[in-house]
Amino acid sequence: MVNLLWLQSGGCTGDTISFLNAEQPVVLTALKMLDINLLWHPLLSLEQGEEVIGIFNKCISKGIKLDVLIVEGSIIRGPNDTGRYFLFNGRPFKDWVTELADVSQYTIAIGTCAAFGGIVAAGPNFVDATGLQFLRRQKGGLLGEDYVSGSGLPVVNVPGCPCHPDWIVETIMRLVMGKLGVNELDKFNRPKAIYRKLAHHGCPRNEFYEFKASAFEYSQQGCLFEYLGCKGTLCESDCNERMWLGRTGSCTRAGFPCIACTSPDFPDGSVPFFETIKVGEVPVTLPLDVPKAWYVGMANLAKLATPKRLKKNAVSFRRVE
Amino acid sequence: MPKIINISPFNRVEGNLEIRVELGQEKVRNAWASGVMFRGFERILIGRDPMDAIVFTSRICGICGAAHGAASALALRNAYKSKIPKNAYLVQNIAQALENLMSHLLHFYVEFAPDLTNKRYISHPGYQELVNRFLPFKGTSYLKAIRARRSMLELMGVFAGKWPNTLVFQPGGVTNSISISRQTKALGLLRELLDFIEQDLLGCKIENWLENRSLEDLETWLTQARHQDSDLGTYVRYGRELELNKIGQGPNRFLSYGVYELPEGKTWFSSGYYDGKFHPLEQKKIAEYIKYSFFKGYKGGLHPSEGLTEPDVDKVGAYSWAKSPRYDGKVVQVGPLARMILDRDPLIFDMFSKLGPSVFLRVLARIHEALRLVRQIGIWIREIDSGKSFYKKPRVPIKAKGMGLTEAARGALGHWMAIKDGKIQQYQVITPTAWNLSPKDSLDQHGACEQAMIGTIVEDDGNPVEIGHVIRSFDPCLACTVHILKR
Repeated sequence: MVNLLWLQSGGCTGDTISFLNAEQPVVLTALKMLDINLLWHPLLSLEQGEEVIGIFNKCISKGIKLDVLIVEGSIIRGPNDTGRYFLFNGRPFKDWVTELADVSQYTIAIGTCAAFGGIVAAGPNFVDATGLQFLRRQKGGLLGEDYVSGSGLPVVNVPGCPCHPDWIVETIMRLVMGKLGVNELDKFNRPKAIYRKLAHHGCPRNEFYEFKASAFEYSQQGCLFEYLGCKGTLCESDCNERMWLGRTGSCTRAGFPCIACTSPDFPDGSVPFFETIKVGEVPVTLPLDVPKAWYVGMANLAKLATPKRLKKNAVSFRRVE
Repeated sequence: MPKIINISPFNRVEGNLEIRVELGQEKVRNAWASGVMFRGFERILIGRDPMDAIVFTSRICGICGAAHGAASALALRNAYKSKIPKNAYLVQNIAQALENLMSHLLHFYVEFAPDLTNKRYISHPGYQELVNRFLPFKGTSYLKAIRARRSMLELMGVFAGKWPNTLVFQPGGVTNSISISRQTKALGLLRELLDFIEQDLLGCKIENWLENRSLEDLETWLTQARHQDSDLGTYVRYGRELELNKIGQGPNRFLSYGVYELPEGKTWFSSGYYDGKFHPLEQKKIAEYIKYSFFKGYKGGLHPSEGLTEPDVDKVGAYSWAKSPRYDGKVVQVGPLARMILDRDPLIFDMFSKLGPSVFLRVLARIHEALRLVRQIGIWIREIDSGKSFYKKPRVPIKAKGMGLTEAARGALGHWMAIKDGKIQQYQVITPTAWNLSPKDSLDQHGACEQAMIGTIVEDDGNPVEIGHVIRSFDPCLACTVHILKR
């Protein structure tokens, strides 16, 4: 049996909702399959008030073995590191998280906020929000650079805004199976198996991308990279292979750009979201690992070879050729 | 000596809530609802590209993000004075209706009904049946309802691509052009959803339920065994036996901005204000107060277009991070009950006229609205003309003001924005939960949910299940209580 405690810090409940959207397997099946004993979840459990504090304290005193601690939402440290912008039963929530992370076997940050600070830490970061062990690309966060959970692993980061439900289930599965060691994590402590792909992989607009047949306006069929802000060629996720909502959709399938929401730099690294900033004809953000000179050369060649069919379809809201 | 009950955390609501009530002779004499988290969303938007508001505001709330996205796209459309094609109205309405529908069903089965299995009711003859149906993770209906999410989620996938946090809504329309193959898939999924609704939730065809146009019709409907045995029939029977119709009245004033825009300029659910009489909505009458909120900088009320949000954690007397929005200085209720009243829905308005508001009616109105949405989604899917456009690129001014008023699952949602030099100068959001769960205002009038709690008899102060019913009947969403700053 795996004792799991799910905490919601400074967030929007979006990752919980996304977890409930799990379909393959369905969320309740996943909990059974993983033999999870849900100690408490803020949206799902019957316990409230002092009963919850009792559960927390039992974990902290090791009266209950805390196998998996999941945190959703950013950690709010302000004002002046007091944590008073978010009190939980009268106590700064960040202090609860620190104490529980001290006794957990595995600590998982679900969603970009818990992993890297995310939306709540954007811009001026007025409330001094941070991720559990990173603030954007900077290691440290709430728990510090050297933190490891009982298993010896750092916080396992499973970003996404929201996090895909399968990524949550799969990460727990890998941990329980003993298949997620330090070597299986990337430099931002994300499971490589999920985050070494690109949202671009499997995008139905790939033929348009190859021949630089681009959409100029939303609802058109062409590639969204050249004009409409799409970051799919540098967003580390498997969204377009795995797809969302029971494999029915994805961002680019519904015609809007990928905004690289799994990145430690999200959201400020992705703005403006809906247009591509270019110097001359060249987008400022190029596809991952592609040198600029090569990109320019390939793009120019591709444009010379664009089939008429693609040119027409790219700027139409439905296939015309 | 009065006894204080403090419930922190108060769970099975969205976001972080703390509830305090003062009891005198078992009766709630005073109540305080506190939003306990401040995320500072207000500062994040200032100075950004106006379009980026769609991304940021969607992430105010994980359960009603599409409503925020739609409100911000509407505020931009209003600022840009742009027009959208008929298909865009349809796709937008479908996606918003799906979000509200999913939220309503999740609320009933996962957040509200589990309280009916509270040990308080152990001596009631129906207790075992309630437990068998509604116990979290085990109840037969609970499990079926979680499984039934599949068809709604996949419908959402067809129209919105990804959810939470779809970006399909734009000031020029929607990004997603719907083909006949998608319409076909969608209608199939809707049919699967109807199977769950007709077999488990209703015990009859959805049309039969929607023929209920009065309290008497409902009583007649309830005489049939298969209706009694449905989840809704069970709720209607036991809800009244457990006297949910006698608690949680709240203020007798209701507000709706109207929702599901139609191309001819109206909304499918009407807007308005009801205080015993129907009045047209006048958004200028909205103001927010901060006397008991952790904010400083002004006295009295401010219209959201001039809103100010300066946090003050040490403020004496303050007890919530929510502000107190008021309509014409009055405390109002928002949400499905308000929407059904303002829409003059025959069944709900008849029951309201005869029995007044209560926990029971608030929850019934939510399910009834969900059923109306299911039927309408099918009509809208069929109305999409896949041969016509879904988007028209707007012209973007560098200076403008805009307002986006819509309805999220939990009630009236408004976004007000000002653009200067092509950047966001001000952005203010008033959420449904700010209306319902607000603290007291400058006149010391309690918020709607606080009012609904006051006077409630709490039989066992160690297990205040009545308070749970009252609060959860409003379906609060504390993740939403944000306010946006004017520089």
